[in-house]
Amino acid sequence: MPRIKFSEATLSTPSPASQTPALEHESVVTKFFRATEIDARMLGMIAALLLVWAIFDVWSGIISHDDGLLGGAFLTPRNLWTLLVQTSSIAVMSTGMVLLIVMRQIDLSVGSMLSLIAVGTAVLQVYQLAPALGVGHPAIWVLGVAACLALGTLIGAFNGFLVAYAKIPAFIVTLGGLIAYSGIAFLLAKGETVAPMDQTFEVFGGGIQASWLGPFWSWILAAAACCTIAYAVVNGRRQRIRFNFPLRPVWAEAFLIAIGSFAVLGTTWVMNSYPWPQGVMEDYAKTHNLVIPAGVENRDGSAICMAGEQVVHCLNGLMHYTGFSLPALIAIGVCLGMTFIATRTSFGRYVYATGGNPEAAELAGINTKWLTVKVFALMGFLVGVSSIISSARLNAATNALGQTNELYVIAATVIGGTSLAGGVGTIYGAMIGALVMQSIVSGMSLLNLPAASQNMVVGGVLVLAVYLDQQYRRRLK
Amino acid sequence: MKNLVKAVMLGALAATAMSGLAEAKGKTIAVSWKTFQEERWKGDEATIKAVVEAAGDKYISADAQGSAQKQAADIEGLIAQKPDVIMVVAFDSDAILPSIKKISDAGIKSIAYDVQFEDPKALYITFDNVGVGRIMAKEILKAKPEGNYAFIKGDKGDPNATFLFQGQMEVLGAAIKAGKIKNVCETFTDGWKPDNAQKNMEQCLTSTKNKVDAVVSENDGMASGVVAALKAQGLAGKVPVSGQDGDLAAINRVALGTQTVSVWKDTAQLGKTAAEAAIAMAEGTAMDKIAGVAKFNGGKKKVEMNTILLAPTPITVANIGDAIKAGHITKDQACAGTKDVAACK
Repeated sequence: MPRIKFSEATLSTPSPASQTPALEHESVVTKFFRATEIDARMLGMIAALLLVWAIFDVWSGIISHDDGLLGGAFLTPRNLWTLLVQTSSIAVMSTGMVLLIVMRQIDLSVGSMLSLIAVGTAVLQVYQLAPALGVGHPAIWVLGVAACLALGTLIGAFNGFLVAYAKIPAFIVTLGGLIAYSGIAFLLAKGETVAPMDQTFEVFGGGIQASWLGPFWSWILAAAACCTIAYAVVNGRRQRIRFNFPLRPVWAEAFLIAIGSFAVLGTTWVMNSYPWPQGVMEDYAKTHNLVIPAGVENRDGSAICMAGEQVVHCLNGLMHYTGFSLPALIAIGVCLGMTFIATRTSFGRYVYATGGNPEAAELAGINTKWLTVKVFALMGFLVGVSSIISSARLNAATNALGQTNELYVIAATVIGGTSLAGGVGTIYGAMIGALVMQSIVSGMSLLNLPAASQNMVVGGVLVLAVYLDQQYRRRLK
Repeated sequence: MKNLVKAVMLGALAATAMSGLAEAKGKTIAVSWKTFQEERWKGDEATIKAVVEAAGDKYISADAQGSAQKQAADIEGLIAQKPDVIMVVAFDSDAILPSIKKISDAGIKSIAYDVQFEDPKALYITFDNVGVGRIMAKEILKAKPEGNYAFIKGDKGDPNATFLFQGQMEVLGAAIKAGKIKNVCETFTDGWKPDNAQKNMEQCLTSTKNKVDAVVSENDGMASGVVAALKAQGLAGKVPVSGQDGDLAAINRVALGTQTVSVWKDTAQLGKTAAEAAIAMAEGTAMDKIAGVAKFNGGKKKVEMNTILLAPTPITVANIGDAIKAGHITKDQACAGTKDVAACK
């Protein structure tokens, strides 16, 4: 396979800034960004995210005081933990949408596809497999997951085939899909809710105790992540030396390791600070024959103990912490995997190259048609992953599940800095975009603000984000 | 068998031939359906047809396939076959009115089936929709007479969401005023979507620190989201939850104890009542003499009509058996995962 190098500017490393000799009179800030090669736009997005969080925490704190960082209910471990779970489904899909939009394609059918996959596999699980194999048979969840992923990939590839080989514009193909797939989903379940899902399958939704990693494994995972970050930085430096590329100053390398580890450990600490809900703890103690110790009632405590015959909240008693939830881990895993695919594989580079200049890419020998099918199939696969998370989380599947998700997925991608003109976009940007959007929705819901105003704000943020991004890019030129 | 078919066909032919004559025994009941796209209408048709034919009368019908124009043509066609009563499931309750006038001009009686059109000469048969909200609230109130209530309402654009809430407030208003019940969360749910309801419930639990004692959800789909959110906090089965539609999954949740009530509109009951009313009208019974008829003027234009308002059935642990007996749900579906309820043993 021919390996072609395209305009380096669209690829992630090495950034052109690091290749130019240092200017003598640059400001400290510019120097910092040049040395660390941190994307200023990413920093801007993270700052926006933190600002949104701070506003909601202060605002909810004004309504009623809570133990959040700024006195509200938003910046509490519990809410942040829930936020990650709520974001995971959209975030997973938005990583695929980045590649599609980078390639100047779009998929409007992801929401309907999600309902079709969820309903189709739920019918398989609940009406076919469960009666045939017996409720709770381990093959049910395995087949359920496999069916979701396979069906997703298949539908995605079908979309891609129509776009690439039948030469129908992606907008039309997937608009048709948006309408048609939700129709099929309706017919499959006759408009009814299919429930409940297999008990093991439910683990993927994060709603049951079995899908919580616990503090011990969360810390182990965090430690492993920190080591990986350090290794990646050191290895990157070694590679640069090998190919005679310009190097970051040592302090910048150290700073990257420090800030990366800090983020990982901080997130883990927050996740590990969320105690099991009282009801879950109580049920767990009952089913595992744990003795609930006697104690003194305290409404603010997170542990449980006995006050006479009654189970009450208390400060020290029986308690466990949740740690990372499975859906959040899946989303993080998908983010890492997709970042690797986008920046480190020839497949990813072809996608960016085709998005930057489709004609040039084709002339250079990239099979853009087959590439299109593959990118759509990948999108479908990710919708399959999301459908597992969504239906497991709801412990049910209905044709309403996933409807209008396409709008949120595209919005997350665009807020995350992916250009609809093609060629530009990052996976982590889309993840942050998804987090920003879900933060706004959850925060407003926490404040008990009406759904209509949530839509209004999310729409406004979408347009504002694109405007700011364009201003930034123009200045850069 | 063949003979039977022949006999039925002959009978049908005879009925058609003589339907215009006063001495004819078999009456003809016609139905103009708006669509068969949704599963339920086929069930309605089967019920009506069975009741009409069991009474020795004839059933004829037309399907408008979701078009107001086709429905107008359908009704002209039905009038031409000279039935005694025409039942109409209107696709558009305003556009249908000229056709209804044609029916009465031809001396035929009309019934508005499930969908209201406001013509004082017609009989309107439907479920008491405001009552659904009342029943939900009553069942939840029974389970939790006081405490913190959360209200998960339907889509803000659907007037039904507000009607249901009104019904709930009729029941709960006094207790709220007295301070026994506190409304801690009240949200509309975009598109009646279960996953939105789940997120709203999660945020409600976060903001109240789990101090929610009961949840009034306006339908079963949203109840599935509410129960999932409660389950994640170990509260499923401890906090009463309402719903409506008689979803199979919801009836299963009632059996499992995670949902308190699903208000069910038994469409078979609706079909049976309408068919019986149609037969009575065909035989010349005056509208206001039919059992269950009362005056109703709650429509858009406030036209007073003779109306039969059927009471929806609350499905609770106590009467799951009835839903199974009615053939709405199989025992296996209703009882998946539990044997604790009487109907499941």
